[in-house]
Formats: sequence, structure tokens, C-alpha cells
Amino acid sequence: MANEGAVQVMLEASPDEIYDIELEHSLLEANAKLAVENRALLDKNGITAIDFMGAIGSGKTTLITKLVERLKDKFGVAVFNGDATTSNDADAIAKQNVPVVQIATINGCHLDANLVGKGLKRIELENLKMIFIENIGNLICPAEFPLGSKARVVVVSVTEGPWMVRKHPHMFLGSQVVVINKIDLAEAMEVSVDQLIADVHSLKPDIKVIPTSCKRGTGLDEVVDALLAI
Amino acid sequence: MHEFSIASGLVEKLLDFAEKNPDKKIVEIRVAIGEFTQIEEEQLSFCYESIITEMPIAGSRLTIEPILGQVACPHCSYSGLPKYWEGALSGPPVATLECPACGKAAGIIAGEDCSIKSIRYVQRENASVDR
Repeated sequence: MANEGAVQVMLEASPDEIYDIELEHSLLEANAKLAVENRALLDKNGITAIDFMGAIGSGKTTLITKLVERLKDKFGVAVFNGDATTSNDADAIAKQNVPVVQIATINGCHLDANLVGKGLKRIELENLKMIFIENIGNLICPAEFPLGSKARVVVVSVTEGPWMVRKHPHMFLGSQVVVINKIDLAEAMEVSVDQLIADVHSLKPDIKVIPTSCKRGTGLDEVVDALLAI
Repeated sequence: MHEFSIASGLVEKLLDFAEKNPDKKIVEIRVAIGEFTQIEEEQLSFCYESIITEMPIAGSRLTIEPILGQVACPHCSYSGLPKYWEGALSGPPVATLECPACGKAAGIIAGEDCSIKSIRYVQRENASVDR
């Protein structure tokens, strides 16, 4: 028995007495370790992975599709689609003729490093330079589960109302870029894009915030530049 | 409901301890939750209690200790408690990464983890070393 010494010391304790064992065991470490492994594999292959988080309907899939359109002729791009049940998003992006990995979490509320690690084993990493990972449409749970990406992008849209940042502040602290999407609808929604930007900067002053309209193509070049600079 | 994933990891660790130490009955587990995590205490407790029914660690109590966040600023060398934002719609003010001293971006130095701190157990009578 490897730990015999320690066990014997504890067995000298009198019966029915209460003891405490101090220990430090991180409950987030298992995922964090796998994320580090994913990152090492990506770095070794010269790949930058970007994790896109945001609510259902914020425009993650459309944004990723537009980014793939702009980048796929320049270098190898692949997409991982996290989705609880359907493969709608993966099917939409597959039309771009780039490798797409559908990760079905079967009702799980976030992607984790283990699932992404399995996905990385499924595709040819050679010739890839960028992987876009679309997380589950959830603004709370993914925060605690790094995937091994080099940067995290939060996508919010004005159609979600004026309080998206104030309602989900934690999500922004661990991210490097925020995309405020559907700004062409801001007036109709009576949502102030400037206020959303100010809210984000109250939480994290150095975060890059880019207002976009995927429909009209506004701001997309700036998103591409921001991702290439990562 | 990421608390379920975290509670499952916790239970797994405790069952491992219980199996290796059949002479010890786990009565309480102390877990620290950092302010910069988004782990909700009550949901974690509820998940824990739901999972452990009918397990060897059933009846054990989960005690949660909140850990304050701390930040350090690379621009002005401030180090300490974060600046809090009153903008959140409900609940307590939110710890931010805005440096309380100079207003630029600070980095997290504490309060990002969720970890087991200690296990409290009762020594069973007639314990056997080699079960």
C-alpha cells in the first residue's frame, strides 16, 4: 500500500472522534488540465483556436460563417459546433466546405475541454491555422470551463435587450473580444449600443468591443483583424 | 447548470477517499468557492445532496466558504480587493477587472478556483487496516 505511513497514523485515532484532513483539491482542475493539453496540441500545430460564447440567437453561427467566408481562402479553417441536440448549425457551416466537427452535448449546458480534445483527434490538424469553436448557447455555464482556446469571444445582440451585460457580467471577465451584433436593429429595439459598450468596459477596461451587423457586413473586417491579432 | 458537473467531481473524489479509508465515515466536506467563479452556492449544495443519496457518503454535509477575489494591476502596481460594480441587475455587486486605483485593466490573482479544503470524518470503531 503506497500510503501506508499516512494511513497508519490516522488509524491511531480513537474511535468516534471527529477529525479533519486538510487538503487542497481543485474541482476545476480536471478540465483545466485537459484545456492545457488541448492548447499544447494546438500550439504544436500552429493553430489558433477561438471560443465563441453567447446566447441562443445572438448570431454566433452567422458570425462564424461570415468569418469562415472571409478567411478560408487565406488559410486552413475548421469549425467545432457545440449543440445540445441538433446539427443545424454544423450543417449550415459545412456549406462553406471547411472541416466541421459537431459536438453534441446531449443537453449538457457547456462544452468542456474533454469534448474539444476528442474533436481535435477527429480532424486533420495539418494545414489548419484557425479553429472556431461555437460554444453552447448559454451565457453562464461555459465561463468555468476553458477549452484550450487562445481567446474567448462573447457575442451579444441588441435583440436580447439592453441588459445582457448587466445580467451576465461574469462571462465577460474571461473574454478578450466582445461582438455586439445586429446593430442594424438597435433603433427598432431602442437599445443603446454605447451603453452596452460602457457596461462591458466597466467590467473589463481592456476588452475589445466591436459592434457588428452580420446581415449588412458592418464591423466584420474589424472582427477579422482582432482575431488575426490574437 | 454547471454546478452539477462540479458536484459530480466532488462526489467522485469523496467516494475515492471513502473507498481507500473504510475506517472513516465522512461527515462534512468544506469547499471554497472563489468570487470570480460563477458557481452558485445553493445550487452546488442542492446538486451535492441530490447525488449522494444512497451512496456511502450519504448524510455528509457540504459547507461552503466564499473566497474574496483579489486583483493586481500591471499599470500602477495596485494589489488587493477588486473594484465592485453596482450595475448588476440583482444580487450583490460584481467584482470587476477595473483597477480600483487607476481604472485600467487589472488581472486576477485570487478567487478563480473552486476547491476542496478539508474532509471531516469520524473514526469508526473496530476499524480494520486491511479490509
